[in-house]
Amino acid sequence: MINLASRDIGHHLGRFIFTGIGLGLLIGVTLTMAGVFRGMVADGRAVIAASGADLWVVQKDTLGPWAEPSSIRDDLYRSLASLPGVAEAANVAYLTMQVQVKGKDVRVMLAGIEPGGLGEPGQVIAGRPLLRSHYEAVADEKAGLAVGDTVRIRRHDYTVVGLARRATSSSGDPMIYIPLKDAQEVQFLKDNDSLVTERARTAANPALNRPGVPGLLDAVLASQTASRNVNAVLLRVAPGYPADEVKADIGRWKHLTAWTRDDMEEILVAKLIATSAKQIGMFLVILAVVSAAIVAFIIYTMTLNKQREIAVLKLIGARDRSIAAMILQQALALGLIGFIVGQISATLWAPFFPKHVLLEPGDMMRGFVITLVVCALASILAIRAALRVDPADAIGG
Amino acid sequence: MTTNNDIAIRLTGLTKTYGSGSTAVQALRGVDMTIRRGEVVGLVGPSGSGKSTLLKCLGAVIEPTSGHIELGGEAIFDEKAGGWQIDDLRALRRDRIGFIFQAPYLIPFLDVTDNVALLPMLAGMSNDEARTRARELIEALDVGHRVGVRVSMLSGGEQQRVAIARSLVNHPPVILADEPTAPLDSTRALAVVRILNDMAQRYGAAIIVVTHDEKIIPTFKRIYHIRDGRTEEEAGEGREIA
Repeated sequence: MINLASRDIGHHLGRFIFTGIGLGLLIGVTLTMAGVFRGMVADGRAVIAASGADLWVVQKDTLGPWAEPSSIRDDLYRSLASLPGVAEAANVAYLTMQVQVKGKDVRVMLAGIEPGGLGEPGQVIAGRPLLRSHYEAVADEKAGLAVGDTVRIRRHDYTVVGLARRATSSSGDPMIYIPLKDAQEVQFLKDNDSLVTERARTAANPALNRPGVPGLLDAVLASQTASRNVNAVLLRVAPGYPADEVKADIGRWKHLTAWTRDDMEEILVAKLIATSAKQIGMFLVILAVVSAAIVAFIIYTMTLNKQREIAVLKLIGARDRSIAAMILQQALALGLIGFIVGQISATLWAPFFPKHVLLEPGDMMRGFVITLVVCALASILAIRAALRVDPADAIGG
Repeated sequence: MTTNNDIAIRLTGLTKTYGSGSTAVQALRGVDMTIRRGEVVGLVGPSGSGKSTLLKCLGAVIEPTSGHIELGGEAIFDEKAGGWQIDDLRALRRDRIGFIFQAPYLIPFLDVTDNVALLPMLAGMSNDEARTRARELIEALDVGHRVGVRVSMLSGGEQQRVAIARSLVNHPPVILADEPTAPLDSTRALAVVRILNDMAQRYGAAIIVVTHDEKIIPTFKRIYHIRDGRTEEEAGEGREIA
């Protein structure tokens, strides 16, 4: 039996291919949206994994350094390091800020780490990791910096000594790693004018500037300008020691909150990017509906243009299922072309997106199946129209 | 002498009423008609006289209101016996009735051969066998040089010959032609009628040609005039076509 669908497609090949390309671009956008979501999750997990930490210790009853403000004293890491089961402890500070890169504003997440300690970037793809205690930076490759560049962060210039890969925040901002002391200064130290004003106000306070207590004012001023806080302490648990046990100890004895790696992933996926995920989910639904509408419209129009031929086919004895199969096959062929174009276009344009677009094979397979199902459903309207065609229409009068 | 075996079509008291009550329109009011195998008859009448309705009833496309239809001696419709006597009307149309339309209505996305071969394929014949049979007919109708060509590339006359080939390919005992010469000039119109006569003779098909084409009416040996849903039989001139 002749395949009527393929013959009809061959007859209108140009129109069919152009429609397929249009649909494919839409499917490409859909796949990219899914890829953006996957990228956010994967990057967040990559940063968590790359830090090498098993526990994140943060201010009591807060969700941690990325989800909520957390401020703890920077000397706490010593007592945490002495807890049973803790192999290593390191302070970290995180803050999101705008920096100038080659004349352009770039939003970055600044990470203050202790060189050689926990919290370092996972993959340094060029240059070297941080080694010195001041004015060095390792930047994510998407920040637009190169090894040897200098970047101004608040009052100081930092030399980029290394480039990292997949070091982005959950919102997709590239990370810049600098030494912890510098990050503390950036985060907590005020500008010169504020310091002068603050000192004058403190000196004017008689309680802090007593005539009979020499050195009190200097001590107060020193405490105001020194930065002794960090956002979190990262802990590495000794091999074989359960992280949950250390977590419970910290909650009980240190009056702090500790999160395990699983907790951090949960916070990242369920809380931090939950709204983005919903947003992307809405886009995916809308794009699927738009794709279905396009396929339905195209197939319906093609079917209406063939009404006379369908009437003739019915009159000369073609079965309804042959006619329905022709329309269904055309819809599926359109979906197939659309999916191939969509996958190619998504793969081609993904590297140009500012956020990491992760196109997973599983998503591709799901996308393919959904595309075919949507196309099959979209053909129902056209099939109904075709089955309603009266064979008597082929005979005049 | 005509025997029952020679009868391809027999209509008795066929009526068709559209609608009901005060809006009812009686399109056929008791049509009687008998056509032998190998015979080409004209069905002539003004617009609205019931020609197309009669063709649709004969083609098992619409159900008559009453009467009796026989094809090759087998009752296919009998109002007294409950209506259609055949369950699969599509198979009836595919296997036992050929259709030729005013315009060729070929399938534009198939080539000449496949337009003709589609019918036997729908009937379950293998592609090769169906194409071989189609090519034989296409050759017989002098369009053999166009077998692999898309039908949209053919002239009007060539398209109509392909349509005739399609109507004959399943060797149906009955062919219904609805104004097959309307879009053609005199020469081509007469050529089509000659082909229909030849094919009727060669395949033993009974052909009913609905027409009001004055050029071809004199070529029929027998003509049914239809007016207000009733038919009258008349002997035609049966003029030879040069």
